[in-house]
Amino acid sequence: MRAAATGAAPRDGGGLPVADTPDVRRYAAQLARRHPRALWGGVGLHLAAAAAALAAPRLLGDLVQAVQDGTTAAHVDRVMPVLAGFLLLQAILTRYAHLASQVFGEGMLAELREDFVDSVLALPIAVVESGGSGDLLTRTSRDVDQLGWTARWAVPQAIVAGVRALAVLAAALWAGWWVALAILPVVPVVAWRARVYLARAGQGYLRTAVAYSRITATVAETAEGARTVESLDLGPARVARIDADCARSFAAERYTLGLRTRFFPVVEFSYVVPAIGTLVVGGILAQRGSVSLADVTAATLYVQMLVDPVDRLIILLDELQAAQASLARLLGVAQVGDDREVSGAVPDGEQLEAHDVHFAYVPGRDVLRGVSLDVAAGERIAVVGPSGAGKSTLGRLLAGIHSPRAGSVRLGGVSLSELPLDVLRSRVALVTQEHHVFAGTLRDNLALASGARSSDARILEALSSVDADDWVSGLPDGLDTRVGSGARRLTPPQAQQVALARLVLADPHTLVLDEATSLLDPRAARHLERSLAAVLRGRTVIAIAHRLFSAHDADRVAVMEDGVICELGPHADLVAADGAYAQLWRSWHGRDRDHFSAPPSAPPSAPPSPPPQPGPGVAASGPVPEDRA
Amino acid sequence: MSDTYRETVRHLPVTHPGEADHRSPARFLLWTARGQWLTLLGGMAFGVTWMIAQALTPALIGRAIDQGVAGGDLDALGRTALWMLLLGSVQAVSAIMRHRFAVTNWLIAAYRTVQLVVRHVVRVGVELPRRMPTGEVVTIATADMAQIGRVMDVVPRFTGSVVSFVVVAVIVLGTSVPLGLLVLVGVPVLTATIGPLLHPLQRRAGRVRGLAAELSTMATDIVAGLRVLRGLGGESLFAARYHRASQRVRRAGVRLAEVASLTDALQVLLPGVFVVVVVWAGARAAVAGRLSPGELVAFYGYTAFLTIPLRTVTEFADKLVRALVSARRICHLLALGPPVTSADRDSFSENRFDVAGLATADLTDDRSGVRARAGRLTAVVPADPDAGTHLADRLSLLGTAPGEDVQLGGVPLCTLSRTALRRTVVLCDPDSMLFAGQVADVLDVRQRATEGDLRQALHVAAALDIVDSLPDGLAAPVDERGRTFSGGQRQRLALARAVLADPPVLVLVEPTCAVDAHTEARIARRLHAHRQGRTTVVVTTSPLILEVADEVAFLEGGRVVAVGRHEELLMSSAAYHAVVDRSVGENAGEQSGQHGGHPSDAADRPIGEGAA
Repeated sequence: MRAAATGAAPRDGGGLPVADTPDVRRYAAQLARRHPRALWGGVGLHLAAAAAALAAPRLLGDLVQAVQDGTTAAHVDRVMPVLAGFLLLQAILTRYAHLASQVFGEGMLAELREDFVDSVLALPIAVVESGGSGDLLTRTSRDVDQLGWTARWAVPQAIVAGVRALAVLAAALWAGWWVALAILPVVPVVAWRARVYLARAGQGYLRTAVAYSRITATVAETAEGARTVESLDLGPARVARIDADCARSFAAERYTLGLRTRFFPVVEFSYVVPAIGTLVVGGILAQRGSVSLADVTAATLYVQMLVDPVDRLIILLDELQAAQASLARLLGVAQVGDDREVSGAVPDGEQLEAHDVHFAYVPGRDVLRGVSLDVAAGERIAVVGPSGAGKSTLGRLLAGIHSPRAGSVRLGGVSLSELPLDVLRSRVALVTQEHHVFAGTLRDNLALASGARSSDARILEALSSVDADDWVSGLPDGLDTRVGSGARRLTPPQAQQVALARLVLADPHTLVLDEATSLLDPRAARHLERSLAAVLRGRTVIAIAHRLFSAHDADRVAVMEDGVICELGPHADLVAADGAYAQLWRSWHGRDRDHFSAPPSAPPSAPPSPPPQPGPGVAASGPVPEDRA
Repeated sequence: MSDTYRETVRHLPVTHPGEADHRSPARFLLWTARGQWLTLLGGMAFGVTWMIAQALTPALIGRAIDQGVAGGDLDALGRTALWMLLLGSVQAVSAIMRHRFAVTNWLIAAYRTVQLVVRHVVRVGVELPRRMPTGEVVTIATADMAQIGRVMDVVPRFTGSVVSFVVVAVIVLGTSVPLGLLVLVGVPVLTATIGPLLHPLQRRAGRVRGLAAELSTMATDIVAGLRVLRGLGGESLFAARYHRASQRVRRAGVRLAEVASLTDALQVLLPGVFVVVVVWAGARAAVAGRLSPGELVAFYGYTAFLTIPLRTVTEFADKLVRALVSARRICHLLALGPPVTSADRDSFSENRFDVAGLATADLTDDRSGVRARAGRLTAVVPADPDAGTHLADRLSLLGTAPGEDVQLGGVPLCTLSRTALRRTVVLCDPDSMLFAGQVADVLDVRQRATEGDLRQALHVAAALDIVDSLPDGLAAPVDERGRTFSGGQRQRLALARAVLADPPVLVLVEPTCAVDAHTEARIARRLHAHRQGRTTVVVTTSPLILEVADEVAFLEGGRVVAVGRHEELLMSSAAYHAVVDRSVGENAGEQSGQHGGHPSDAADRPIGEGAA
């Protein structure tokens, strides 16, 4: 079933939407407007710093003119302190300009990531549950990192370079309008090459990044799976894989290198042309006497000064383009529509009814094919059946995570999809074998939903109801012990107990447990389910389990096969009916069909509902029905 | 483009990364550099050309100003302009070639590092996680490989910087000795001043990066646990916590910017002071007639140019220090030797071991007394789950100290070569990891299975439905660690992989603990049928498997205490019955209490009644 879900979840970014360019621009503009002082203060300071830097070529040009015309050392000694003064001014302005743009970058980044996490936390539950978390994880790590780099480094740099380029250009043109003759011819060439380059670069760099994450993944797998590698003699295969990963990464690198090889020389050459043009045009004009040596010198130096900021801007184009793509993916998360159609109807009671439910992850491939199940308030139902039968899917529908394609799932007469999420989860909760321990204290991990309402006493009580009290009492700091990634690692069974304790604290009326105790060893699981049963008395429980004692303990057992419920009834009835369930039960229970009587050490209290003697045909036909596939 | 370049490029990554010199970080870097000396040399050649072309530009501009603008000689101006055009072309071509070599140098070093690491990790084998945190290995594959690459990238530029600095100094000396000396002394002084200024900044930046990494971990943690948060609630709690941490990072970033912006200003001021001093001296020389106006402009150009080599030298020092830190971690890993026993095993002659005789050889373990009969399926039921895991590790020689206890047909397994051993015995336990790749490749570790074999193995593990529901079936991709599959699916796929490997001896530990009873029953029967004629050991307490086992050994206190068929043992051994009987009786907890090792041990309070 999970395979079906996995198969249905579109891969590689197809799962979650991506915002379009106008949305991205609107958001970026709106984000920038939230910090007007930092933004415009920064731009203003950069402009002032760039203006101070313009003094040097001008003063030098005048100096060259003065030398040409004949001057004294005293004049030089008067001019140079002025140059030094402008330099000092430029240094001071640079300091505050950089500070302002960094503050702006940090502020923008903080709001952006906070907005993103908020929208992640508001994702519809069906999206969260139907896999595709790989895509979300990529957005959370790679895209947020990309934007971090952009906001801290690329945006301030782009502001500096942009402001400086404009200031220098203005100064060059002020030195003489004719400078435009030298600069203009290269502009369309550079712009054209830049367009060609940028059109391909985005995809190209994405591919290199993906190739590097593959390398990382291969190394991580090889190191963490060292045992498996050793046992299966996978060493040569791992080596072949890393070499293939490197080759793939190299192919991606070579592609982008090719793009740069076609782009950079054009740009680099374009930097030389304006300087030459300025000197030649300036020389001709100077000979005619229409411009001074000072102007030509200053103009040439300005044109040279233009190279650095323009070069930076061009290098930043990649970065800004990648950032735009990242931002589009982050904003996309906020655009996931909620699939709940909240009607405001209030459920009347806790009766849960599924009626003729059909459901498919992939259109045309129904995983549930007409399932009907009425669960009375306080009833305990066990769902068993082979993998792929649709058990987990039924569980998700009963928990209101997905809505049926046809048919209905109602709680107290109200369709689950009509309930607002907080109402739904206060009534129905789903716990699966996929558990997660958050980085934080054990208390944080448990109190989640109930928040401050949970006293330590209640938390400890919940832990004891899932048999976790002994290892918890052994923790150095008790409930304050830090657990999760980077701290104390809980074993899978412990993590599963934490998940169940959370559920006890959340205290919903109806619980769907999907293999919720599968990670504990059979004996511990048995014990846990019994303690849990005591706590959950009176609650409605739908337990999807592969251990049949859960079925034995339930009020009714639903046996699923091929998307339908094929047997339904109390354990004793099903055993008496001697169908597929009865045969499985006998094998599983560890009792041989010919030696049914209890062995000497058997517990004094025999099963409450002793199964009847097996029919004559059973012994011959083997313990379990062979699958139909 | 040079042939050297093409040759190298065609062969990336290298087929054999070689044996690294890991005696010290510096030796490792030298070893890396030696392995790519040709491309480093190519990079240096273009790096030097590129830098010199830039360094000479001011001289030409100066000449153009003197002859053309001040002198009014348009022919001379035209000639100089052509020279500038030529120099510009040289600069453009050498720039891209330098860049191409730089990228190649980066890649050779980085790929070679990661190739070395994986080869060594594989050599160290099962011992690795016990001897080095796997996180460190991953750091090598991400951060460290890049650091080694970067230092190889910067070396040619560094060379170009040093050479161009000398060229500029010589040119200036040729025009004016005092100014030349000023340049020769001033630039190194500046370099020495700016370098140390950056160190405290880098430390602070490191701290901010640390905080930002924590924040990023927090976000990943939220995504990983999103099911819990959306299913049970607690979003506002986590949002608030994230916002607080995010603001902490922002404040730290702002504090860093206060220092960083000071350094930025100093990087404007210090080279600027140098420019002012040189131009001042130059202008006085020009007034005295020792320098032409154009030469003065050229001097200004040189000093402005010199900030580039200045930056590069600082960059080189910084990257070298970081690369040495990375190289230390790499050396630490490479110094880990392979397990002692397998070093001996590698030299063992395989002839002593008759592969054809495997089918008739029993697998025995003297320490536990387990005997797995050739060609049969033997189940081992441990009273204590840990003892079962230890036994499986010993049988497959994955434990800490393999001894001579475990023998196949009387030959101690530890005398086999590593390859022979791993082709003979395969272990599959709940810790087995699925690796990324196409389903068919992930399962077919021996690379020799037909699609029929694959489907057969998947059928045995009752895993066909998993593959059939994937859009591309056997060609579908499996994610890293198979994380898109559920626990039960991963277990079945891992079992299919072990079955497909078809080893003479297959050791399984609780192969069906994460699958439902229906599927478990199918797997048990199919496994038994499929493994006919080859030796299989299953450590389990599952009655569905025990029922099909040819022989069952009951393990108590690490020793075999009873052997027989499942139903015989059920009748004859009360202790055995207690372990395997999934009784619905009241004292299930007490039964488990005597075996220890799991959470219900300390259960001494009344047990809640089941609702049944």
